[in-house]
This record gives sequence, structure tokens and C-alpha cells, in this order.
Amino acid sequence: MTMGLMGALANGWARRLLTVFKKEMRDHLRDRRSLLLALIYPLLGPALVAGGLSLAGKTLQNDPASRTLTVPAVGLNYAPELASHLAANNIEAAPAPVTQEEREAAVREGRLPLILIVPESAQGHAEFTVDIITNLGQIDNLRATARLTDAIQSYNDALAAQRAQAAGLAGNYAHAVVMHKINVARDANMAVFFYNMMPPLVIFMIFLGGVHLAIDTTVGERERGSLEPLLLAPVERGGLLLGKALAALVFTAITTGVNLAAFKIFLELAVVNSATLVQPPAAAVFVGIFFVAMPLMAIAVALQMMVAVITRSMKEAQIYLGLLPLVPALPGMVLVFQPVAATNTSVLVPVFGQMTLIHQMVAEQTPSLAHLSMAALVTLVAAALIFLAAVKSFRREKMFVLG
Amino acid sequence: MIEIENLSKSFGAVQALSGLSLSALDGQVTGLIGPNGAGKTTAFRVVYGLLTPDSGSARVDGIDVATNRMAAQRHLGVLPDVRGLYPRLSAREHIRYFGQLHGSGGKALEQDIDELIERLGMQDFADRPAKGYSRGQELKVALGRALVHRPKNLILDEPTNGLDVMSSRAVRDLIDEMKAKGHCILLSSHIMSEVSLLCDKLVICAEGRLVAEGTPEQMRQETGAQDLEEVFVRILDRAGLLHAAHEMPARLVQGKGGEAA
Repeated sequence: MTMGLMGALANGWARRLLTVFKKEMRDHLRDRRSLLLALIYPLLGPALVAGGLSLAGKTLQNDPASRTLTVPAVGLNYAPELASHLAANNIEAAPAPVTQEEREAAVREGRLPLILIVPESAQGHAEFTVDIITNLGQIDNLRATARLTDAIQSYNDALAAQRAQAAGLAGNYAHAVVMHKINVARDANMAVFFYNMMPPLVIFMIFLGGVHLAIDTTVGERERGSLEPLLLAPVERGGLLLGKALAALVFTAITTGVNLAAFKIFLELAVVNSATLVQPPAAAVFVGIFFVAMPLMAIAVALQMMVAVITRSMKEAQIYLGLLPLVPALPGMVLVFQPVAATNTSVLVPVFGQMTLIHQMVAEQTPSLAHLSMAALVTLVAAALIFLAAVKSFRREKMFVLG
Repeated sequence: MIEIENLSKSFGAVQALSGLSLSALDGQVTGLIGPNGAGKTTAFRVVYGLLTPDSGSARVDGIDVATNRMAAQRHLGVLPDVRGLYPRLSAREHIRYFGQLHGSGGKALEQDIDELIERLGMQDFADRPAKGYSRGQELKVALGRALVHRPKNLILDEPTNGLDVMSSRAVRDLIDEMKAKGHCILLSSHIMSEVSLLCDKLVICAEGRLVAEGTPEQMRQETGAQDLEEVFVRILDRAGLLHAAHEMPARLVQGKGGEAA
């Protein structure tokens, strides 16, 4: 029995499959486009993200919380007590434009971070209204605005306590509910935001890595006229396509490996000089992501093969397969802003399951074994079904008879 | 031996083959000739297992292609109309790939490859990538690829199409050599001088069916023409199929274009 199986492996379809696989590997290791896609393209995403993180890190260092915040202000002299409270909180006043239009324009265009306006009517009164002109579209302004409003809030709280006591009431009479914020976000959230950008980019590359090989070995082979001679050899059509798909899979795996290694190395370099930024996930996490992503590689290659065998020309295949990586990348982009950990439902959706798992791993949470195996199973079954459909299409006479 | 029996095949509205039968015997060169669109390439593609006929059957050494494609393919070497090489592989690598697909390997295969390279005169370019090969060099690689598994039967689709004098002659010598060794050779060609030089038996087809068959000598006697080209025209005329051969030029003169199906 075992001997029979070994014999089949050595002389049967497995040997022919291996012959096709080896030929495609040899052929494409000599192909500049395949190599570019496998070795150079996967460096671009990591370089961009690491560059962004490095810049953000510099911004953070330039704005530590203890540093004096300069706020352009108008009419602070009408409210001297507020002015001295702000000064005590390390907030320093600066001159601001004269007219309202100029003030709004300056903030809108980013020339000034924000402007505090105390009306003349505040003079001599304890109760008054202040205006804050701000632009919350910019992260720097968010930070400055939060510091200013917190400072004004603490002035209010202190005043309320004084008044309550003066009226013979409890100090907390005016604020029954005291807010105490416990911030569990890792220090310098900024870096984590950049790390969350990794999963969609990794998945994008997975759907791109083997694409040239998938096109070149199928519809490209037909266009060159080499498919007909190849089909003259006594090889099973399914085995032939599988040999080609395995070569595409190896290129996809190389691309993904290069991509993940580049992310790890580039992100390390981006945070190396920062005391505040959180370190990127450990190397083991990246290795784990590679394994979790393997079913994704399988389904990506199956889809590429499917599209490549049903299209009529390389041009057509390139258009469709150029768009294919966007399909998983779009929901992935949503996860950047609203990370979702894997759930019992998410792991049942092919591709999406891996996306949530990878997000979870980037957040340095360990996914459950049940989730890992379920997601792998579902995506692999989907990949197998798509590949079988591709084989069916590959058997059609239309595959090699044009017109 | 290659046998085709009552083969019919249509593509949509186009009837490419309608009941074509022919046989090509061992130790003989059989020439399949006919106007463009007569169904020659379609018939070949059925024999080598690329197309499934609507009805009828094809056998190679008695093996039915439809039911046992891979076994039939092992008995068959084919030079298709389109050579189709891999630009990044060398001649040697092309031949090795096909040898391995046929189940050969190791030292025996390398020896066979060396032999083929010498026999086909490929020493100068055997280890250079195929990108930039001349048509003659491409043909030699395609022949090497077709012969590496030592097939008993050969199908050559317009073997000298686009070749210079020396390459054409080399191909003809090879065909003679294979015939002498007892191989069965089925070829198609438009070059009547070549057909008369090479073929022991002629099969003339048009519109997907057999019109006439016999030795060139029989056909000359039957039609009373000496020149094979004239024989071909008279046979088509007699069958009322001359329009099939004339259709293209006639259409071009009328400015409609297109080719007879």
C-alpha cells in the first residue's frame, strides 16, 4: 500500500505536477517583473508606514505635555483671574489677529493652532462666556484644544468649590459627579495607529505577490502560443494548473515574508530614537501572522488562477487582477480605524476571519486556537472550491482555441 | 498508425469537420492537403487530444484519444502550427521539460537531449534563452520537444512554414530519416513541391470532409495532370469545391475580405 503510494508519487501525477512547478519556478526566477513584485514591491508599504511613524514620533517629542502651550488670546486682561490660572497651568498668551474674519482664517489655514477670545463684557464679572476658535481636523490642534479646555474646566471647578464653601455648602456641592479618567491606551497611541495600518497592507501584498506568475503561466502561455504544445504532453489538466498555482503560491509566500520582515525592521528603525512611542509587535508576532496568512495566500492564488483562465487576454487579466487586491483591502482599511478582534462570526467569513485575527495579533493579543483553526479551515475550503472552478474552466476547449 | 473515423466538429455555426475519415500508416508519409479552412488543424487537434469531436473518433496506434488521451499522447509527437517557446528558457531546457513531462529523467534523458541537439544542429544556441531565436532555430526546438519521448507517430502541421531553404531541407531530411525507421508521419502543407517530394499518400480534404485519397501517382493518372498543384485544382473542381479554394481571392477582389470557413 505504502509502496504503491510512493510509486504513484514518484512516477504518477505528483511527479508531473512537480515538473511543471519546477519549470515555472525556474522560468520566473529569471523574470524581472516577477522578482520586482516579490522582492521590491513589498518594501514600499513598510517604508511609507515607517516614514509616517517616524515623522509622527518627531512631532510628539516636540510637544510633551509639560511644555508651555502658547495660545493666541484676545481680551485676557478682562479676566485676570482666569489669566493667572492659565499661566499657572503652563499656558502662555500670545497676540492674535484683530478682526474675527482674520482670526478664523488664520486657524482654518493652520497659521495659528487656536485662538481664545474673552469679550470686553467679562470685565468685572465672575460669569462670562469665552470663544475658542479651533480646527479639530489637525491632531496638534486637538491636543492644544484639550489642554486649554481642561485648564478652563479646572478653573470653573475651583471657583465652584470656593462658592459652595462661601455659601456654607459642601465643597463638591456644584459637581456631584466627579470624572476620573483612566486612560488604558498604550502610551503614545500614535504608534499603535500606525501599527494598525499593517494588516490591510499585508493583505494587499498577499493578493498581489503571485499575480504576474498566475497571468503569465495561463492566459500568457496561451497568448505566446506555448499552451498548445504544453497540452500535447501527457499531463492531467488539473495537475498542470496545480503545478502552476503552487509556483504562484511560493512567490506569494516570498512576497509576504519580505513584506512582514520589512514591516518589522522598518518600524523598529522608526521608533528607535523615541522614548515615548510604543515598540512594534515582537518578531514572533510577525512570524505568527505569516502562518495565519497562509490560507489567504491560497485563496489569493486560487482567485488569480480563476480570473486568469477565464479572461481572453493578458491585458484583460491584468485589469481585473489589478483590482482584486482592493476587495479585501477596503474592509481592512475600516479595521484600521475601528479594530475588531476576531469573533465567532468573523472567523466564519473567508478572508475576513484572517483579517480580524491579524488585527488582533498586531494588538499583541493571542487569538484562540478555535478561532485560528476555524478561520483557516473556512478560507482553505473556499480556496479549494475556487481552484476547482478554475480547473473546470481550464479544461474548456475555449481555453486554447481562440475565436 | 493514426486513424480518423467519421470525425465531425463544429464551433458555433461553423462546421469545421463533417465526417472526415483517414488513416496514416507506419513507414509512410501521409500528406493532408486542402484549402485554408478545410479543417486540417482541427482534425490534428482532435488527434492530439486538444478538442473533443462532436462525433466520430481518432486513434493513435489503436488507442482511442477520447477515452485514453494521455496514453495516446505518449505515442504521438506533434509539431504544431504555432511553435510557442518560453523566452527565458534555453533550447536544452525546453526539451528537458517535455522529456520530464513524458516521464523521462536522469542521465538517460540528458543523453537523449544531447543526441537531439546534435541531430538537429542546435549546438550553437542550445544553452541560450529562446528570446531572439530565428524561425529556423524555433522550429528546431519545437522538433526536439516533439521527438524527445521517441514517439512512433508524428504529426507535422506545416513543418516548413516560414523557413529558409536550408532549414526546409533539414526538416525534409529528418522526415525521410524517420520514415525509413518505420515511423508514421502525418503532415499538412501548402507547398505542393514539398508534398510531391515527401508524401507516399495524399489525402485531399475541403469543407471538413475527404475529397480524394491515394498515392500522388494514382492521382496524377486519375486527373491526367502532371503537376500536383494542377491535380489539386482539378480534384477540387470535380468535387464542385473549387469555390472553397478560390473564395478568398474572389472576396478580396470584391472588397469584402474574410476567409472561407
